[in-house]
Amino acid sequence: MIKQPSLLSRSNIVYTVIVGVLIVLPFVLDSRTMTILLTQFCIFAILAMSYDILLGYTGIISFGHAMFFGIGAYTTAIMLSDFGPTVGIFAASIVVGIVLSAIISVISGALTLRLKSHFYAMFTLAISGLFLVLAEKWRTVTKGNDGFTFRAPELFRERLYFYFLVLICLVIVFILLKRIVASPFGKVLIAIRENEQRTRSLGYKTLGYKIIASVIAGVVASLAGSLYVISLRFVNTSVLTMDITLDALMMTIIGGVGTLIGPIIGAGVIEFAQHYLSGLARDYPIFERWIIFFGILYILAVIFFPRGIVGTISSSYNGWKLKKGQKKTVKLIEKEEIQQ
Amino acid sequence: MEVLIGLVINGLATGMLIFLLAAGLTLIFGLMDVLNFAHGGLFVWGAYTGVFTYLWSNSFLVGIIVAILTGLVLGFVTEKLIITPVYGNHVQQILITLGFMLVLQEMIKVVFGPNGVPVTVPKYLSGSWQIGDLTIIKYRIFIIAVGFALFGLLYFILNRTKIGLVVRAGVMNREMTQALGINIKRVFLIVFMCGAALASLGGMLMAPYTTVVYAEMGMEYAILGFIVVVIGGMGSFQGSLMAAILVGLAGSFMAYYVPSLSVAVNMILMAIVLIFRPQGLFKVAKG
Repeated sequence: MIKQPSLLSRSNIVYTVIVGVLIVLPFVLDSRTMTILLTQFCIFAILAMSYDILLGYTGIISFGHAMFFGIGAYTTAIMLSDFGPTVGIFAASIVVGIVLSAIISVISGALTLRLKSHFYAMFTLAISGLFLVLAEKWRTVTKGNDGFTFRAPELFRERLYFYFLVLICLVIVFILLKRIVASPFGKVLIAIRENEQRTRSLGYKTLGYKIIASVIAGVVASLAGSLYVISLRFVNTSVLTMDITLDALMMTIIGGVGTLIGPIIGAGVIEFAQHYLSGLARDYPIFERWIIFFGILYILAVIFFPRGIVGTISSSYNGWKLKKGQKKTVKLIEKEEIQQ
Repeated sequence: MEVLIGLVINGLATGMLIFLLAAGLTLIFGLMDVLNFAHGGLFVWGAYTGVFTYLWSNSFLVGIIVAILTGLVLGFVTEKLIITPVYGNHVQQILITLGFMLVLQEMIKVVFGPNGVPVTVPKYLSGSWQIGDLTIIKYRIFIIAVGFALFGLLYFILNRTKIGLVVRAGVMNREMTQALGINIKRVFLIVFMCGAALASLGGMLMAPYTTVVYAEMGMEYAILGFIVVVIGGMGSFQGSLMAAILVGLAGSFMAYYVPSLSVAVNMILMAIVLIFRPQGLFKVAKG
């Protein structure tokens, strides 16, 4: 019999506690920088989760995730500055960004996902490079590398309101993605990750599943981009650079691939560590290049902890529980033997 | 006509530099199925160490030698430290080499400073020849000559020597080569080091061509290298030369005739190849 997960399962309680802490935190800390930092954390958590759908659940490596982030970012920024800063325009721009991202991910997926994983990695790297150059050259729309500022909708100028909007988005995206990966569709994705040939021989058209996975990831990344520019009220080509992809990649790897909660934790670790390390840079110039530390940490994680923080903890926890269970069984058997 | 010849020379020179990057990539991939995303990092390290020695010693040749040595050493370190631990796992290989690329690029900024370094062409290679209306820049001819010479050398090594035979056999069928008693891992190490040295040399030669070196150039040219490897066929050495020249020529012609398309032309080429011939223009016979 399949055990139905109860609404009050242990993990659900943990999630609720985390969300509760995130709601209370800005009031406790009560500082502008902290609210901004928390907002950034939530946005990058959304981005990292979208990356996890590709890397952790489907086993596809994309090096062009910044492209979708940037599409969302530019769509929102351009629409808000052209049509005026209202919440309605903002919502519309999110939809437009999502549609654009979906179209582009379908095209790039259809071109390369039927080939080996290398091709998708290379193709996405190249096409996101193309988008970066396009944004730099197409100055009439994007204002190039200098970027442009714009007015955010009245409601979100209050940092706290915007933080709650982002937090709500984070929770909704988390629940939606959790539902998706737990669905039969998600199971097929995991099967593709484990053994694509076998999945295909079982009668699943894996290409379609992979394309849909890349569309989901692209759409969510675009949402993250739209939210990101509102928090900055400024956009330039940095939203399309490799750094964004690398951030998402590091958050996912360090937090734990294929767990969804892992990327959120990874986002927290990296965002806060980044904040404090760049604070240290005033005294120790080496910390200006904090990305080196993350790079090394990331390499070590890939070699020694390929399952990241969450994966490593949960597997050792399960091992511990298994051991405990075995001990219990042994005890029970001993008891029975004594009784006999 | 003058314009045409000028564009061809431009395209060939760029193509040769990309070829130096792509030759290592394609052989490394063919031999061990490793896609080395850190290749651009080796390229930029060659450029920086070479240029700094060149500026310090005032000798271009010493700069080139230092760049090649840097490539060999970094290639050895990369293979031992980064590739070997995750051998056989594609996803991890791709992830880890990209991480190493990031570290290499940031280390450049730590060691040599975050700003670009201007480079000039050495005296005996600077200037140009004037033939009628046609201006030929000497340094470009030099790059083309070096590129073809290196291609000839590599072609000779691959086709006429024992080690070349082993490498070609390894690309065709790794297991079979191993079964015949050849330590393919050692061959791979040698190929990796040579590939890294080629990339470093490419970086060093690129520096006076673009007149400035900067940390991000590694990634930019690595993308071109990947495009070339895809177009030429992964693992194909001759293919990478043809594709590099194709990409170089397409870039220089587009930049002249349709400048707005020049950024996208490589992508379009790659997309066309991926749609109609995903195995690349020159397929490697895999047994």
